[in-house]
Amino acid sequence: MARFIAQRLLAALITIWIATIAVTLLIHLVPGDPVRIMYSGFQTTDAEIEAIRERLGLDQPVIVQYGMYLGRVLQGDLGYSIVGNQPVLDTLLQRFPATLALTTSALLIAVVVGGSLGFFAAYKKGTAWDFGAMTLAIVGVSMPHFWLGLLLLFLFAMTLEWLPVGGSGWQNLILPALTLGLATGAVIARLTRSAMIDIFDQDFVRTAHAKGLPKTLVLYRHALRSGLVPVVSMLGLQFAYLMGGAIVIENVFAWNGVGRLAIQAVFARDYPLIQGFILFFATVVALVSVIIDVTYALLDPRIRYGK
Amino acid sequence: MTAQRHRNRGLRIGLRTGLLGGAISLAALPVLAQDLVWARYGDIDSLDPHRATSTLSMQVWDQIYDTLLAFDENGVARPNLAKSWEVSEDGLSYTFTMQEGVVCHDGTPFTADDVKFTIDRAFGDNPSLTRTSWGPITDVTVVDDLTVTVTLESTFGAFLPFLADSFSSMICDSNAELEDYGTGSAIGTGPFSLVSWVQGDEVVLEANPDYRNFGKPVENDGPVHIDRLIVRTIPEPQTRLAALRTGEVHIAEPPFDDIPDIQSGEELELVVAENTGQNVFWQYTTSRPPFDDIRARQAIAHATDPQMAIDIVYGGMNQREWCPIAAGVFGNDQEFCRQFGYEYDPERARELLAELGYGPDNPLETTMYVWTGGNRHILAEIFQAQLAEVGVDASIEIMDIGTMNARVREDNENADSEEPGTFNMMTWGWYDPDILYALWHGGGAYAGYQSDELDAMLERTRTLTDEEERLEAVQNVIQYLMENAIHVGLYTPGWEWIFALRPEVEGFKVGAFLHPMFQDVRVTE
Repeated sequence: MARFIAQRLLAALITIWIATIAVTLLIHLVPGDPVRIMYSGFQTTDAEIEAIRERLGLDQPVIVQYGMYLGRVLQGDLGYSIVGNQPVLDTLLQRFPATLALTTSALLIAVVVGGSLGFFAAYKKGTAWDFGAMTLAIVGVSMPHFWLGLLLLFLFAMTLEWLPVGGSGWQNLILPALTLGLATGAVIARLTRSAMIDIFDQDFVRTAHAKGLPKTLVLYRHALRSGLVPVVSMLGLQFAYLMGGAIVIENVFAWNGVGRLAIQAVFARDYPLIQGFILFFATVVALVSVIIDVTYALLDPRIRYGK
Repeated sequence: MTAQRHRNRGLRIGLRTGLLGGAISLAALPVLAQDLVWARYGDIDSLDPHRATSTLSMQVWDQIYDTLLAFDENGVARPNLAKSWEVSEDGLSYTFTMQEGVVCHDGTPFTADDVKFTIDRAFGDNPSLTRTSWGPITDVTVVDDLTVTVTLESTFGAFLPFLADSFSSMICDSNAELEDYGTGSAIGTGPFSLVSWVQGDEVVLEANPDYRNFGKPVENDGPVHIDRLIVRTIPEPQTRLAALRTGEVHIAEPPFDDIPDIQSGEELELVVAENTGQNVFWQYTTSRPPFDDIRARQAIAHATDPQMAIDIVYGGMNQREWCPIAAGVFGNDQEFCRQFGYEYDPERARELLAELGYGPDNPLETTMYVWTGGNRHILAEIFQAQLAEVGVDASIEIMDIGTMNARVREDNENADSEEPGTFNMMTWGWYDPDILYALWHGGGAYAGYQSDELDAMLERTRTLTDEEERLEAVQNVIQYLMENAIHVGLYTPGWEWIFALRPEVEGFKVGAFLHPMFQDVRVTE
């Protein structure tokens, strides 16, 4: 198990390392002089521009810039936000709890709604119920996040007036979490359905029925537990998908998380913050993937032994 | 909604009782806090007026700080925190006398020391981003508590107007002791004091009970009627509109596409700002072909019809602007500018292009830069189609304003590039023709068109203080810029100038140069 965890951690570190290269190159890939783009106020003199370039190390060769950046990152220093005038890491950590609350709520909704729908469709396989549930899932997968968000907003906030439109209280979490969760839930529904159909045909389920166990016991204890294993394996990927979706949804619902911060940083041309966000995002997704992989391995020993 | 109604009812009862009873203490009545929520697409960059230049920041500084002078409805600078001033004969010294009894939000008196603190800070180790606009200040001397003398190196015609703009907001010297000034705290003398700023989310301000207005064009010269002003960031236009319709928000910039619906409905009211000082214009990469030739620049100007484009996109919410400085700014005169302007004349554009060797089989290829947002991409597509009619093949690149500023400058600096020069729909908002100096003197902000003749003319607009002489100098510059097709005005206003209001909001005004004012605002049921 220790070897398995070490392998996964090494893969995560390689991902984060690649992200550090990407964020260093990012500043040079954008058309235009990065310093002039960041400090586009017309009263910044050429001498000041050069001083800023020197301060940010942008006058050095790219490889030197990368070395300097990596050195700082290893010390936990992601630089200073130009607009907020405070450490990038502090800014990201202030906002991250809001994004974590949104993504975990959305994941919970996705698992409960998607799992139930998929299980139900598999159980009613080939019927109109199955067709209806899967049609719903396809609609959910196909619908863009922001559009679903706006539809839910018009329904629950404007028409029914049950929920607030935007803000930062717990009531404000419901609509964005629902928007994100339903789209992911559609993916989980399709996955659960195919996994459960496969399980329902397995010998051990047939045996459980044959020995006269109650139907609910066979379905929920024997079939569902086994059927959820591949679903759990997908949660890491789905979490990354939710983090990406949060960037859009946080803006639609004015939810003050790191996704919204990223958009603000892009519009404010705050390169240190944009770089910090990308690295932070990659790190969170990589670490969550490690946690999911380890959990999966604990559930299914075949994984950790590479079988 | 219900809670809001209760709050409003509480206040109304309080006001009526106060009016009728006179001596009855309002404190004994159940008067609850009355909030006004103002939603905008973006947040402020800083609470420090020396550290940002965005309209979004400026409009919040207006609420926290006050200025020595203030713009009246017509955009003319009038006495405000400074009740009077004297100018020395040589025009180099201004001695301001302050109003008595003005108090900073922390309770300390506002004095000449605060004025000196503000100006010294603007020129200090970490100078203001707009320090050039303060003028050539060499010294600030405190004469007594209420008198301060500012000395200039040379005469400066835009000095007094600058003192009415938000960039010259008076910062109380007690801010020097605050470690988080600008990011978490701010002390001014404005109508609201800062409660909190959650970056990217909201700025919460509360009424300053000691506030007195001396020069702003409002009816209420005392403290504001509302208790709190909450400036909330809601980036998505449809979400802003939804929040406005449900009553979570009282004032917001509406999505352009919904403006006809708002106008035809009775639910919301629109306030359209005038005299914003915003100018949208064509400018070109003049350092290399094709726009190093005046005929190519003129061809673009003749081939595009701004009036038709803004009618389609903004439906009468803004106007054609012939001048390089916007309506409401000193020196703007539509008739004067139009005589040097470029009427929509595709035939003339074709002739000019033909002289340069371009024609149907050999189109002029170029790129048009456009600042993202405000439906400007639709305008660009209309202009692109109009240009195609005369044989200009213009591709469109849409980017944020900071990137556009940098790209335009870079294009001008790359005079040896083999690529054809670009042109762009640039935007600037300013309160004085001094903007032309910043944009064009010595190549200006974009390292663009440069001539000694233009530089000399621009220097004259800065140093003249006599109004008539300065007007003539400004108009000479306007004529030069237009005749040479360097800076071709298109329309005004251009961004963040339309406000949609809930019906219960009364008394909201937008002053000259896009300064929203809440002094007269009441929220009724």
